[in-house]
Amino acid sequence: MSRTIEITILSAEDLQENKKAIKGNTFVTVQCDGSSDELSSTKIDSEGGSYPKWNEKLVIDVPSHARFITIEVKYKIRGSSSSIGMARIPVSDFIGGYVHENQLQFLSYRLWDNRVRRNGVINISTKVKFSQQNSCCNSISSTANGVPVTGIPVAGNGSTSVVTGIPAVWLNYQRNI
Amino acid sequence: MGGCFSDMKGAKQAVGGALPQTAPNNNDAVDFFYTAQGFQPLFTQVELSLSACNLLDLDITSKSDPMVVMYAKKGDGKLEELGRTEVVMNSLNPEWIEKISIAFHFEMVQPLVYAIPDLYFIFRVYDIDTAYHGDPKSLKLNDQEFLGEASCTLSEIVTKPSRSLTLKLQNKRGNSGQRNQGAITIHAEETVAARSAAEIIFRCSHLDNKDNFSKSDPFLRISRIVESGGSVPICKTEVIDNNLNPKWKPVCLNFQQFGSKENPLVIECFDFNSSGNHVLIGKLQKSVADLEKLYHERAGANFVMPSTHHGQQKVLKGQLFVDQYCEKEQFSFIDYISSGFELNFMVAVDFTASNGSPQQPDSLHYIDACGRLNSYQKAIMEVGEVIQFYDSDKQFPAWGFGGKIPGGTVSHCFNLNGSPTSSEVEGVGGIMDAYASAVRNVNLSGPTLFGPVINTAAKMAAESLASYNSTKYFVLLIITDGVVTDLQETINALVKASDLPLSILIVGVGSADFTSMEVLDADNGRRLESSTGRIATRDIVQFVPMREVQSGQISVVQALLEELPNQFLTFMRSRDIKPLTSRFPNAPSIQ
Repeated sequence: MSRTIEITILSAEDLQENKKAIKGNTFVTVQCDGSSDELSSTKIDSEGGSYPKWNEKLVIDVPSHARFITIEVKYKIRGSSSSIGMARIPVSDFIGGYVHENQLQFLSYRLWDNRVRRNGVINISTKVKFSQQNSCCNSISSTANGVPVTGIPVAGNGSTSVVTGIPAVWLNYQRNI
Repeated sequence: MGGCFSDMKGAKQAVGGALPQTAPNNNDAVDFFYTAQGFQPLFTQVELSLSACNLLDLDITSKSDPMVVMYAKKGDGKLEELGRTEVVMNSLNPEWIEKISIAFHFEMVQPLVYAIPDLYFIFRVYDIDTAYHGDPKSLKLNDQEFLGEASCTLSEIVTKPSRSLTLKLQNKRGNSGQRNQGAITIHAEETVAARSAAEIIFRCSHLDNKDNFSKSDPFLRISRIVESGGSVPICKTEVIDNNLNPKWKPVCLNFQQFGSKENPLVIECFDFNSSGNHVLIGKLQKSVADLEKLYHERAGANFVMPSTHHGQQKVLKGQLFVDQYCEKEQFSFIDYISSGFELNFMVAVDFTASNGSPQQPDSLHYIDACGRLNSYQKAIMEVGEVIQFYDSDKQFPAWGFGGKIPGGTVSHCFNLNGSPTSSEVEGVGGIMDAYASAVRNVNLSGPTLFGPVINTAAKMAAESLASYNSTKYFVLLIITDGVVTDLQETINALVKASDLPLSILIVGVGSADFTSMEVLDADNGRRLESSTGRIATRDIVQFVPMREVQSGQISVVQALLEELPNQFLTFMRSRDIKPLTSRFPNAPSIQ
């Protein structure tokens, strides 16, 4: 069982490479953990520099057991691509909780580079599309003092527990999944 | 300047942000600042049109000759005249042509600092002596016949779909008496200028280089010339790095910022310095009309530099161009309100033990038998009395947090009215009553957590947003005496709520150190960031310590609410939500 999510990649802010502003040729890839689908990708923004705008809608399937959607900003240079920064977005940020499923949401996330340094912001909008195969999404929220808390799973062993904050080695963790 | 100082980037962001040479004219700090501002002045100009019907006929040989005088009543009971209409001869159903113009400040019930809750604007109608000839302003009112008066607030007018309010005229003792004294109709309309804005893209060429080892890092500052001869900045651009031929991001000037297109503006070009001592590259003086002309003629204007010789100026090679100029009208806060949008007031009160036992006179929750209000009551009254005008049903959710309810455990979000099922109370009076009851029945405890009440309010806002054609925007007032214990959880809740139709006002009472609370107020331009890296879509928090407000001449409501229309408009515009079409049948023509 899965549901379809429309993710519109709107823009990014203050992108850098080696402490210098990116000059252009940036694009974004989106992937959902637990999904066998190929990476979804935007077109290349060649003129936006470190403040690119794509305004491109990507449609992805999110399995019911999925916990994250990874959004990565890359740039083309000499025929190859290199990562600028990545955001790992809990599915619970736009599915579950008090936000209705079909509600359009505007979200912004910090991007982190390969050395786990802040590197700009990615702006997106999301909307869950209705599907006949929709089922209740297993929220990965836990609670503290009765308050929902969103975070990152402790491990990839199917546990629904979460930790808040971003582990320093989470990039390597993701690559090893 | 060029990489000589480690805080260069941060300092440029404080001015207007840094922009690499090859990048387009974008900037995080300035983008966010202007998005948050919503291109909305702190007040809007409203014109009142007046008419009346069935006036008393006091003349013997003809009908009355009526005129209206409008007053505002001050806190000391004195009346201040705001304007007069002309005299309409021989009519019991006059429609006055002369309009009375006033400034609408959302955060005030009237445009004066001191207000009495039960009287705001007073409209008095007089029958003018038939022997009168001349300027109505020179008339002595004591020599005229009084026909009747009516009173109301401006908010009562603008919240009507038609923006018109009809009131019965009464005598000066406040009753209608035996005779029908007629009625007066007040119609409010926002002036066109108040909703107009000019969007301009500036470009320069051949600027003087003020840097030794690289090119200048220029930005523009636009100022309005005031009567005293000085100037007041109204707009600035971002900083563009290392460029003598910069093109800036569009700037938007609201007509109220400069008054008239013919009024002169001073445009200064500076070279950014991280020390804050920015070097003037050049300046010039142009009106908005002049800038429009430059755009149409595709001409440039030379900068000048004041000379050491008195009265002389050196004409520079550098030039200013206008690459884009367009005027547009924007939906204003009043447009939304008068079309049916509402502000829904919610309250959350701190019942932690740090307030002190309510039975003790030094407690922040002490309820004086003489009726003197404590800080919590003052905040509720001042904010509620303004916002209630924008809510039709006046059913306000009211919560407490940090207290132990009778027979229960500590709750970080309990209904102030003691009901297990409903948090709503009726009117500001209902909040005050529920608060007084809770003070008597709830045991103060702790700790101070904001997350639960924010999430509860956010849930209501989300439910509303999910409904079809929702016209509700929620305002949560949190009143607290202490530093929040769950700061990160509070930030997480605020970030999640920032995409909802919700604003949060936080009043700090007592003498605690609220420094960490100011982190939540994004007035410094730093966006809140959750523990998962999500960044607030917009600023929805306003924090004010009560003690600072009490020491000045402004009220809590002024300090808290003046940003609310901007927050409201930012949300509406970001989602392209327009006023209801029944009020604006030609809505697509307004951007």
